Amino acid sequence: MAKPVRRRLRKLLPWGLGLFIAGVVLVLVIAYSGIFNIAASAGHPAWLEWLLMLGKERSVIVNSKPVDVPELNFVELVPLGAAHFQGGCATCHRMPGQVLNPVYDQMLPPPPDLKIHAPMWTLEQLFWIVRHGIQFTGMPSWSGQDRDDEVWAVVAFLEALPSMNVADYLKYASGNSKNSIAAKNYPASQLAGEGRPKVNHSACDRCHDTGNAPPTSPYVPRLGGQDAAYSKRALHEYHSDLRQSGFMEPIAVELDDEHINSLADYYASLKGSVGKTAESVSSKGTDPGRQLAEHGDLLRKIPACLSCHGSSKRPDYPRLTGQSEQYIRQQLQVFQRGIRAKTPHGAIMTTIAKRLNEQQIEAVAAFFANRLPAESTDHNATEGLR
Amino acid sequence: MKYMRQMLCIMTLLIIAGCDSRQSAFTGLGPVSSRITLLIWIMFIGAALITLLICVLMMISISGPAGWRQKLTSKKSIVLGGIVFPTVTLTVLLIYGFLILKAGETLTQAENPVRISVVGEQWWWRVIYRHDDGRTTESANELRIPTGRPIEIELTTADVIHSFWIPAYAGKIDMIPGRTNVLHFIADKPGIVSGQCAEYCGGAHALMSFYTVAMTPSDYEAWLAKERANARPALDSQGEQVFLSSGCGGCHTVRGTQANGKIGPDLTHVGSRQSLGAGILPNTTDSFTKWITQHKSIKPENLMPPFNIFSESELQSLSAYLNSLE
Repeated sequence: MAKPVRRRLRKLLPWGLGLFIAGVVLVLVIAYSGIFNIAASAGHPAWLEWLLMLGKERSVIVNSKPVDVPELNFVELVPLGAAHFQGGCATCHRMPGQVLNPVYDQMLPPPPDLKIHAPMWTLEQLFWIVRHGIQFTGMPSWSGQDRDDEVWAVVAFLEALPSMNVADYLKYASGNSKNSIAAKNYPASQLAGEGRPKVNHSACDRCHDTGNAPPTSPYVPRLGGQDAAYSKRALHEYHSDLRQSGFMEPIAVELDDEHINSLADYYASLKGSVGKTAESVSSKGTDPGRQLAEHGDLLRKIPACLSCHGSSKRPDYPRLTGQSEQYIRQQLQVFQRGIRAKTPHGAIMTTIAKRLNEQQIEAVAAFFANRLPAESTDHNATEGLR
Repeated sequence: MKYMRQMLCIMTLLIIAGCDSRQSAFTGLGPVSSRITLLIWIMFIGAALITLLICVLMMISISGPAGWRQKLTSKKSIVLGGIVFPTVTLTVLLIYGFLILKAGETLTQAENPVRISVVGEQWWWRVIYRHDDGRTTESANELRIPTGRPIEIELTTADVIHSFWIPAYAGKIDMIPGRTNVLHFIADKPGIVSGQCAEYCGGAHALMSFYTVAMTPSDYEAWLAKERANARPALDSQGEQVFLSSGCGGCHTVRGTQANGKIGPDLTHVGSRQSLGAGILPNTTDSFTKWITQHKSIKPENLMPPFNIFSESELQSLSAYLNSLE
């Protein structure tokens, strides 16, 4: 019984091989001849559309399996995600309440309306798509290398998007920026000369603090009162792809040296005490965060944070007082993952951050977040005494 | 042929380098190490004689006269030569060795010794001078001792097992976590010798050495008084400013300034030491610059963060400042 089957198979083998080679040759001939029309205007035939959709869906589902949703406060991330969406994604995916620009509607496949499409995916799958992008569709991968933590802000926004009305969206997307997207009564002459008012993605106020408002999300750093030298360094590092951020790099890359200098000076001139006047402060000497900040941890070879981050220190070292717990914690974790080690300054902090344990990160983040700016000047005064 | 001669020259140089008396157990610059040197010679010459004897006996057993061969195989000569002789020789050597180990201790019990603590750290030496009034002065990566007086060194470790060894003065003793070992020795005459960590302790183990400077008692007292004092106020405040504002004080202490870090070596009088980086670089302004900018390649895996943030002028004034800390 087995023998005839095997003999028959052996007879079929040359035929199978021949057919396979013929198939490959046929595909090459078709590709070389140019008869397959790749024009976006031609659209996809139904069978190809079906095949591509199947491949895409399965790939997203399978590849996103290892993704875990981190314990983050998604509500706090929404404003950051919304502002990035407005600056980076809305061009193709349309702003809520507006029709899609016909230019982008002519892409193949057309960028989906995420109000409808985002709920079709799980959070893990949304993360994977935003983080890695999708081939052949025009969807780019996240521009901040390895900054997975940032991607979750966009995921948080996409989760909130379907239930968001236009006014909410505009509020989140424009943040502290006064230049309202929905401005009415705009004089025609101005409209003709300057164009429709819109929130430019280089408007820092969309996320960061202003003279009288805090940052829109605790995951956004406070810039007011920061030394100009530090802000300059940060923007130059973003500008030259040395410091990774999918939020800041696309903005910084368009700033020239003059912009960077004037922005840094502007933020240095702002008072850093916004929204932080009389919150409860753990002033006990036993607070582990204070202990670490003022004295370090000899056993783990961690120097005191304030030996570099006190306010009489180098102006190109950042001041931490008044930054939120969330931001400090997140940045320390980014340092621990080695993502900021490319810059000379980042390399210093990477070494130190890797010596911190989780509890120390929590404690020190809480200490700096609850520290009053006045206290930091006091500390200076005593530090200045010989 | 030319190649061979070159190789020979190189080999000879390498061997001669091994004879450098700065880090050699044959130097014997004090009573403790002299005894060790004597022990080494006794063992070396004894072993050579025994080897010679065995060779002769083997020659006899192969081609000697029949009568001699007969005697060699007798029960008596096997018991005497194979059991009694090694047992007696090794026992005598062991007892002699123990006596040498004790020698340092008995030497120092005679009079009030100089007390110094050395803590092994990855990968440098924390040196603490204990004054008679109970106070201490911290220094690093260099040991200064007076001649003629017994020295008592308490050896501990901050992390893993290290081994403290100044071959010219004494045998090596391990620094073991949770234990305090004590080393005694005396230096006979002034001079500079080098020491080395002699127990593998991680990445930069081979680059964990130090110099020991023996000085006349009066020189030593003068030096100690200077070492005990705070750093003199910097002449050029720019370098000091760079040091303090860049956070160096988070890990390093310069007594007399705000810099009071305890993680890394004390730098109060670093400019007066023989070497930088625990016996790695000569102590010059250029070496400070080199250390600050390239320490990750000069001494791989050392625990200091890389500081490649300084401008040329900052680096110059910082190096000059550190070199001026004498």
